[in-house]
Amino acid sequence: MGMIKQSVGRRFSRWINRRIPRADSVLFSQKNIFILPTGAGVVFGILLLIMLITGINYQNSLIYLLTFMLGALFVGAMHQTHRNLSGLSLSLVQPGEGVAGEDIPFRFRVSSGKDDSLAISLSVEDSRVAGIHVPAGESKDVTLPVPSAWRGYLRPDRVRIETRFPFGLLKAWSWVRPSSAGLVFPRLLAAPEALSTLEDGPENAAAAKTAGQDEADLRPWREGDLSPRVMWKRFARSGQMVVADWEAKQGSPHWLDFAAFPGVDNELRLSYLAWLVQDRAAKGARFGLNLPGELIEPDSGKVHAERCLRALAIWGEEKPRDDDARAFGTRRKLDRAAGGGSAV
Amino acid sequence: MKLSLPFGLFSGREEPPKETIPGKALLWLIAAFAVLLVPQWDRLPVWLIAACVVLAGWRWLAQIGRVGLPGRWLRTGIMLILMAVYIATVQGRFTVDTAASFFVLAVGLKWLETRSARDFYVLFFILVYLATVNFLFRQDILWALVNFAAIALLLVGLQTINAPDLPNAIGRGWKRLGLLMLKTLPVVILLFVFFPRMAPLWSVPMVSGQARSGISDTMRPGDISNLAQSSERAFRVTFGGDAPDYRDRYWRGLILDRLDGETWRQGDSERFFRPGRVAIDGGVGDLEPNQYDVLLEPTDQRWAFALDGSEAVSDNVVEAEQNLFRFRRPADSSVRYRMALGNVAASSAVQGLSPLEQRRYLQLPAQGNPRARELAQQLGSQLSPEQTVMELMRRFREQEYFYTLRPPAMPEDGIDALLFDEKRGFCAHYAGAATFVFRAAGIPARVVVGYQGGDAGANNEYYIVRQYDAHAWVEVWLEGRGWVRVDPTAAIAPSRIESGLRDAMADEGSFLENELISPQRYSDLQVLQWASLQLDRINYQWQRWVVGYQGQSQMDLMSRLLGGVGMKELGYLTAGIVGLALLVAGLVSALGMKRGARQDAFRRVVSSWHRFCEQAGVPVRAGETPEALAQRLSRAVPAVSESARVFARAVNNHYYSASSAPASADDTRRLKRLLRTMKRQRRNGPEPVPEIRTPPNE
Repeated sequence: MGMIKQSVGRRFSRWINRRIPRADSVLFSQKNIFILPTGAGVVFGILLLIMLITGINYQNSLIYLLTFMLGALFVGAMHQTHRNLSGLSLSLVQPGEGVAGEDIPFRFRVSSGKDDSLAISLSVEDSRVAGIHVPAGESKDVTLPVPSAWRGYLRPDRVRIETRFPFGLLKAWSWVRPSSAGLVFPRLLAAPEALSTLEDGPENAAAAKTAGQDEADLRPWREGDLSPRVMWKRFARSGQMVVADWEAKQGSPHWLDFAAFPGVDNELRLSYLAWLVQDRAAKGARFGLNLPGELIEPDSGKVHAERCLRALAIWGEEKPRDDDARAFGTRRKLDRAAGGGSAV
Repeated sequence: MKLSLPFGLFSGREEPPKETIPGKALLWLIAAFAVLLVPQWDRLPVWLIAACVVLAGWRWLAQIGRVGLPGRWLRTGIMLILMAVYIATVQGRFTVDTAASFFVLAVGLKWLETRSARDFYVLFFILVYLATVNFLFRQDILWALVNFAAIALLLVGLQTINAPDLPNAIGRGWKRLGLLMLKTLPVVILLFVFFPRMAPLWSVPMVSGQARSGISDTMRPGDISNLAQSSERAFRVTFGGDAPDYRDRYWRGLILDRLDGETWRQGDSERFFRPGRVAIDGGVGDLEPNQYDVLLEPTDQRWAFALDGSEAVSDNVVEAEQNLFRFRRPADSSVRYRMALGNVAASSAVQGLSPLEQRRYLQLPAQGNPRARELAQQLGSQLSPEQTVMELMRRFREQEYFYTLRPPAMPEDGIDALLFDEKRGFCAHYAGAATFVFRAAGIPARVVVGYQGGDAGANNEYYIVRQYDAHAWVEVWLEGRGWVRVDPTAAIAPSRIESGLRDAMADEGSFLENELISPQRYSDLQVLQWASLQLDRINYQWQRWVVGYQGQSQMDLMSRLLGGVGMKELGYLTAGIVGLALLVAGLVSALGMKRGARQDAFRRVVSSWHRFCEQAGVPVRAGETPEALAQRLSRAVPAVSESARVFARAVNNHYYSASSAPASADDTRRLKRLLRTMKRQRRNGPEPVPEIRTPPNE
């Protein structure tokens, strides 16, 4: 049963994807608007049937009249609801950026055609913006928070646009399948070195002298570290190879290095680095970012920090292709993976 | 008590989460409820109306934050109390009225449970059905308008709940609803005319517990004088030719031939009729000169009222014995039927009365009223039956008998008291007394109950017979002549028979003395009379052509319009109309779409640029930015690279600029010019690019 449902669901998805090609901007028309009665609409239909039977059984012309009137209104409402959406165009103006786990604001532009578009709602996964009214010929920008799961590209497979206006008995809906993706920075996790305090005062001072620096950061040893930098005393005490990394003084370049966390999972490293970037940027420090395959020269300032965060966000990730019919980085994907592990 | 609507249908993943109801929307719902209660005001018990007002008011106070909605226990308590009161009032009777009050009670209780948008819809559905139920009881045009107004309120409320924050939502809601109704009106009318009026799917007698005013099948002295205090309409008649004179308009309803103490009853219980389909129509074609068309108000009885010597024309009435007419089914809603005035001579005069009938029409109680019996014997022994009748009438005419709506009480030997002592009575008194005397004199006689007279409606198009026209008279069997009508009232108060009760009671001043608001009471107010008659005329036409548009009249209209269509053809026709309407709506919308696309010149330029690219051998990829496309185009056709870049930037600026204004005509014109340049460049090679304005945010 479940398998049939799944297969039908996949088929339906493919059909929809054919009808709505991936694009940041969609003009809705008969071709891509779907319309069905809502639950209330179905009950309304049943009610009309009961009314008709009442009319027949009591041979009551006025009940016939009322039934026909409401039935015609229902069909008229279908027209209205459809028109509410048709002619409207929805564009993804600005995919958002943010930290993994948060809701990332995507900016959409809703431009209505020659009819008013009233009570429009946009939704993606479990996030929803409702009550968008756009008078005929005007546009309105709407920010839709897209729940993100992890770092990387964030591209919901479909963003649903829906309206039930005027009576709520019918819903017309469609989707936009954005081509552009937002970026999700790694979750910020305080890097462990920064947590540790400098305890070996005299050695520190010596090390500082050798490195020509005055403040130190501790980090695990990695290949290529100079022997004088290793804090041998600490090694003797705890067996950990710890290297004193010297905090940049004002103006002195400092590298945030992917390789600085030996034995740590890649994602965790990125999280540490992201935190460090935030931290350094907040302190106004100069720093560079060294990722395998990407090097960002030391600099300071907000723009630089963002550049670094973006680099961290997409490191090792492939840009979503247009023909890729799946969601990237949205929270629903995470839930599904956790829930049943069905292939996405 | 939960109303068991299929809630499951509402729950769906895409359903918006439960929201509280906006106050504006709730107000419309409450207003519609109040309006829908109005047509039921006289059927519902007073406590129920009070309870509904309190419950709906409570809901409103909770909405504006004055009080809280009751918790579950309090709600259950209120529910149980109201149900107990309901059960106590109903006392196990099951009628349409008790069902309707239960329905209203359910709506009232639902108010306290209305919290979410879903509850709002549940109430909406119930209220729509309440309007339907109202139509079962009231079909007058005014009540119908009230009902339709309530439906309109509901629909505006629905729009409000779907877009509560829309500016000027109410005004636009009315406008939208009005336009929608106007657009769908042709389809509604076509459906109303052509939808096949089927026979009832199952028999549903409408048992009403409410006593209807109208004549009944028993008559005690004084009964009809109560009825004479009511100006309610009994029926309306249209004559195909000239109407008979006022004094000849005796509408026979039923015959009372058994005197039981003081009470006249029907001797034989009427033959049982199987309840068939409710044929409330009876109009087929134009009225012949000798035909007349009656629209009877609901009586819950099967009696059809007809003039002397009538024949049934429409098939919803059948002729019973004694030239009376009966419906196939009790008239629980208004009934239209058609009769023809036949040849009066062709009555049952040729046959004599059978011994059984003789006994039946001479039956009298064993004792009582000795003086009347004595008078009868005295007359009967000296005179022929005909002379006896004349003599009694002369006695009524010449002696000091009074026709009065305020007769004295005559508890013992009422007929004697009336004839010899008080000499004051109403038609029922005199008819009963006369029949008694005739029978005592050996002349077969019977009391006939019905209506007499009827006032002209607006423009004399038809006649309105009201309850105060109710009348009782006598028929006697005369050898060789058959049954002959004898009306003691005509002898005592000729004005009653010539021009009606109002004139007959002019001296006494007792006409409609208890009905202060009836327009009939104020006959001297011309304007009021005129208005009331005009209203009645509209209502009459409404009843005849809209309310009464049922099976037979539909078939009649169809055969005149189209010729020889049956139910099946009508069914096809209806399906065709619905299909055609949907098709037209679809076409109109498709044309509208096309026009809409044409109107967006900007988008059109962009798509013609896309076509240009395709022609130049650069396929447009979905989702590609204009700039990327321009780059690929430049690589393929270097000659256009500059203009393509400018073009792409302009398109980009439009799509991604912060200002949300649509592209101006100027922008579009520039783009068109650029596109033309590109086409030229592709043919001729590069040339200077026209400058394009760049928005400040670039």
